[in-house]
Amino acid sequence: MIKAEHISKYFDKFKAIDDVSLHVKKGEVICIIGPSGSGKSTLIRCLNGLESPEEGTVTVNGTVLDYKKPNDVTKICSQIGFVFQHFNLFPHMTVLDNLTLGPVVAQKLDKAECEKRAVELLRRVGLEEKKDAYPSQLSGGQKQRVAIARALIQAPEVILFDEPTSALDPEMIGEVLEVMKELAEAGMTLLVVTHEMGFARKVASRVIFMDEGHIVEDNTPSEIFDNPKSDRLVDFLSKVIHM
Amino acid sequence: MELFLKIANKGTIEYMLLGAGTSLMVAIFSLFFGSVLGLVSAAMKMSKSKILRGIATVYVEIFRGTPMMLQIMIFYLCGPIFTKFLFGFVYTPNPIIVGIFAVSINSGAYITELFRAAIQSIDKGQWEASKTIGLNYFETMRYVILPQSLKRILPPFVNEFIVLIKDSSLLSTIGAVELLQTATVLGGKYYNYLIPLSMAAVMYLVMTLTIAHFARKLERRLAESD
Repeated sequence: MIKAEHISKYFDKFKAIDDVSLHVKKGEVICIIGPSGSGKSTLIRCLNGLESPEEGTVTVNGTVLDYKKPNDVTKICSQIGFVFQHFNLFPHMTVLDNLTLGPVVAQKLDKAECEKRAVELLRRVGLEEKKDAYPSQLSGGQKQRVAIARALIQAPEVILFDEPTSALDPEMIGEVLEVMKELAEAGMTLLVVTHEMGFARKVASRVIFMDEGHIVEDNTPSEIFDNPKSDRLVDFLSKVIHM
Repeated sequence: MELFLKIANKGTIEYMLLGAGTSLMVAIFSLFFGSVLGLVSAAMKMSKSKILRGIATVYVEIFRGTPMMLQIMIFYLCGPIFTKFLFGFVYTPNPIIVGIFAVSINSGAYITELFRAAIQSIDKGQWEASKTIGLNYFETMRYVILPQSLKRILPPFVNEFIVLIKDSSLLSTIGAVELLQTATVLGGKYYNYLIPLSMAAVMYLVMTLTIAHFARKLERRLAESD
């Protein structure tokens, strides 16, 4: 579905990801864990064209991304949902318009039809009654659920999450993780950069541990958490799992 | 008082109101054309092409770095020489049309920077989110970036409108019959400058304060969706 082959990404001299290969298959729920600055976010941003790696190739549904044609990249990558840490909802639009903007403007679909679908999706994330609200009137957890609905209306085959709960107050994390868990159970392919180890252990089918721009371990959750092989993963887990 | 009534009769007031109308019209047209110019040149300034960026930068620096009065005079007094040299014909310039032309180009340079600053102040997450839902550059500009920028641009934009109303008085130097010109004409006619000039000041104030007042109201309305 998405295949990254030997990609490297530099920010000036700094090598954020270093010769990483990753193959995301249909139906997988992959969690990427690792310390800050290990290249987790950069990796998933490369997978949907938000960053262009200097080396290596990214293939989405059989098409190699050609960064010299940004409009083509955007078109291909709009089949990939993306949820940001800071939501990035459009503040000047209602929740409903946030959802329908993509399908109506970019895909030129019928507006009434899109609104119907948008309301259904809002119901799915439990926010149907907020359809006419503006993002500023929502809590962080609600914003992130709207952002997930906005990703879903693109009818994506895979959704990438970039630390979806890191900007939330603790009491709102659960509601967002719950929506993500439901998506996973419904068979959606997910790729989640997260610090929520409980979520990674329970929901993921595969966990990837990254450090210093490399994939250090790539295994099932139980192997990663109960039987870590590298010293770095042991060290990382001892720091993040406090009790 | 007697002198005031003698000068401020129905005819002179009508004459000056006509002048005020011309001033307002010059400001409105200049703001409109200046905005179009400013938007295009702001887009050029933010483009990836070095040549486009260069052209826009030269334009902005030249017109912000020289006096507007000089620009108006060059367009008015030297326009026919340029067209003769370039296209082989001369024309008799109309001071109001040339004035709108000059003020628009000058204002466009300032508005370029207003647009650029407002557009660049929008969080880059908005661009990224637009990209992930498949919007291209123009769609993102049209539906996401510009609507948010316009809200931020409104206060300096109104300020620019007020500046233009005042700057339109510079057209009196090329003989355009706008508000200041009507006042000086009346001053000469009645051998009294204090009264017509004071009347002009009041008319300028009425225009600028009214605009500022409505702008504040509009701003408050727009702020409600924040």
